[in-house]
Amino acid sequence: MRHGKYPFIIGFLVVPLALYLVFVVGAYLQMFQLSLTDWSGFGGFNYIGVDNFVKLWDDPVFWVALRHNIYILIAMPIVTIAFALFFAFLLNVGGKSRGGVTQGVWGSKVYRVIFFFPQLLALAIVAVIFGRVFGSDRSGMLNGLFPDSWSPWLFLADERWALACIGIVLVWQQIGFYVVLFSAGMGSIGQEIYEAAALDGATKVTLFFRITLPLLWDTLQVAWVYLGIAAFDCFALVNIMSVNKGGPDNATQVLSYQIYLNAFQNSQAGYASAIGVVLFFLTLTFAALTLRVTRRDAVNA
Amino acid sequence: MAARQDDGVLTVGRSRIGTIFANTGGVLFALVMIFPVYWVLNTAFKPRDEVMSFEPYFLPAHPTLDNFVSAIKAENFLSGLVNGLIITGLAVAAALVVGFLAALAIARFNFYGRRAIIMIILCVQLVPLLALLIPLFLMLQGWELTNSLIGVALVYLVLLLPYTVWTLRGFIAGIPKELDEAAMIDGCTRPQVFWRIILPLTGPGLVATAVYGFIQAWNEFIIINTLNSPAKQNLMAWLLQNQTERGTAWGPLMAGAIITSLPVVIFFLLIQRNIATGLTAGAVKG
Repeated sequence: MRHGKYPFIIGFLVVPLALYLVFVVGAYLQMFQLSLTDWSGFGGFNYIGVDNFVKLWDDPVFWVALRHNIYILIAMPIVTIAFALFFAFLLNVGGKSRGGVTQGVWGSKVYRVIFFFPQLLALAIVAVIFGRVFGSDRSGMLNGLFPDSWSPWLFLADERWALACIGIVLVWQQIGFYVVLFSAGMGSIGQEIYEAAALDGATKVTLFFRITLPLLWDTLQVAWVYLGIAAFDCFALVNIMSVNKGGPDNATQVLSYQIYLNAFQNSQAGYASAIGVVLFFLTLTFAALTLRVTRRDAVNA
Repeated sequence: MAARQDDGVLTVGRSRIGTIFANTGGVLFALVMIFPVYWVLNTAFKPRDEVMSFEPYFLPAHPTLDNFVSAIKAENFLSGLVNGLIITGLAVAAALVVGFLAALAIARFNFYGRRAIIMIILCVQLVPLLALLIPLFLMLQGWELTNSLIGVALVYLVLLLPYTVWTLRGFIAGIPKELDEAAMIDGCTRPQVFWRIILPLTGPGLVATAVYGFIQAWNEFIIINTLNSPAKQNLMAWLLQNQTERGTAWGPLMAGAIITSLPVVIFFLLIQRNIATGLTAGAVKG
């Protein structure tokens, strides 16, 4: 417009950009620098070139952790989105049709609040509670449901199931948000579209696959990105729930927890930074791929 | 399959079985979602012997508030509560002020580098937190801001900003530019337009963003656990500390968990109606 706009723009953006430069760019540069050192976390350090990365390449625990990250990255968003879509659909269009208008199931307003509740419990609390749910003796909630003669499931102490248990908690914690998100998306789909399709004799299943799903596509893509980020960063649950620090026998080891263990417990901050560098590039690749594949034109305001 | 006429009301075929199925599914799912919450409440109000018993008590036989009393009296609980409020308050207030201005700049002006800034905001949201923990610790140590509430608030501000800017930008973009222009023709200066027109109209957005930011900062524990000693931590860190140290004192722990969750639940109930709008505003106004 007419008056000088640049004073405003610069004035409004100088603080956030400064914060970003110092805390994000600066922090990353420092992480890259540390990844080339043998720093223990205390005192001085020497530059050792790419030794940390060579060590990483030969470290079986790193590969196990990476594999677990990839499992979670694939399985968790699919399961969460599938369940959330199903229940959002139930809440919005699963009920009776009255006067041609499809409605949600009975009490859908109450459900909406209930589904959102896990989102309100802090991850720390959720992890502590599910530690009890999956308790490996009779004091565990699930095992406690069975009679004395029952030989208890080990859950988190069983290396075959430990990661799945943590995955279940991740889904449980995330799903409510996506039910609400998809419900909002479905709410914005015009009733007359459903009406017309119902008049043409479409079943609920047809309605879902032919109308709801295509019209929700944008929202689904957003959900996918958010879930992907959550999948990369499942540190909190592993930290609190896993038996024996990412165990048993590294069965729940993930990259973010490896960073933490190496930096703050094993006094290998240089090595931990190297893992951080790898995680950085992995996340960046995921983001770039997702943005490219989904081609969501978010940049045009 | 076929739509049929039924008392003049159109229904979708097999609707009766479908409805039963849908309702059962909904109820079952709701039970799974709510069970842990129920368990927290149940445990918190039970006396110690009922908590420890293998006999399942589905409701406390002798409800008591003892657990709440011992939680409040526990070491570092009250300080954790106060610390959490201070840190969260500082971080959210700062994020709203800084974020609102930045969102204004991005939503209302076209300038060189605007796209780059939007990309930066999106990318920061993707940053895995753990990767930054070591350098952040070093940085704050250099400024003598470890073991300080200000240091943690500063880090939380940085973490909250991308979401704040992105969401508020969505809200501001939804306000017609014609309003600005009309006001300016009537003699408003640009700062007056921001202050008198855009700020009030962004009100709901500010509330939604503040609540979301509050939840994020209030529930955070990894950073505060790493940067600060127990006396300068929040209630989340307190919970974890007590979970590992005392192992089986579930009653007080769950009572503490309830007190910890209370502010978030209250905020949520206050703005419950608008939460979906608030959460999706940034996403939908692409």
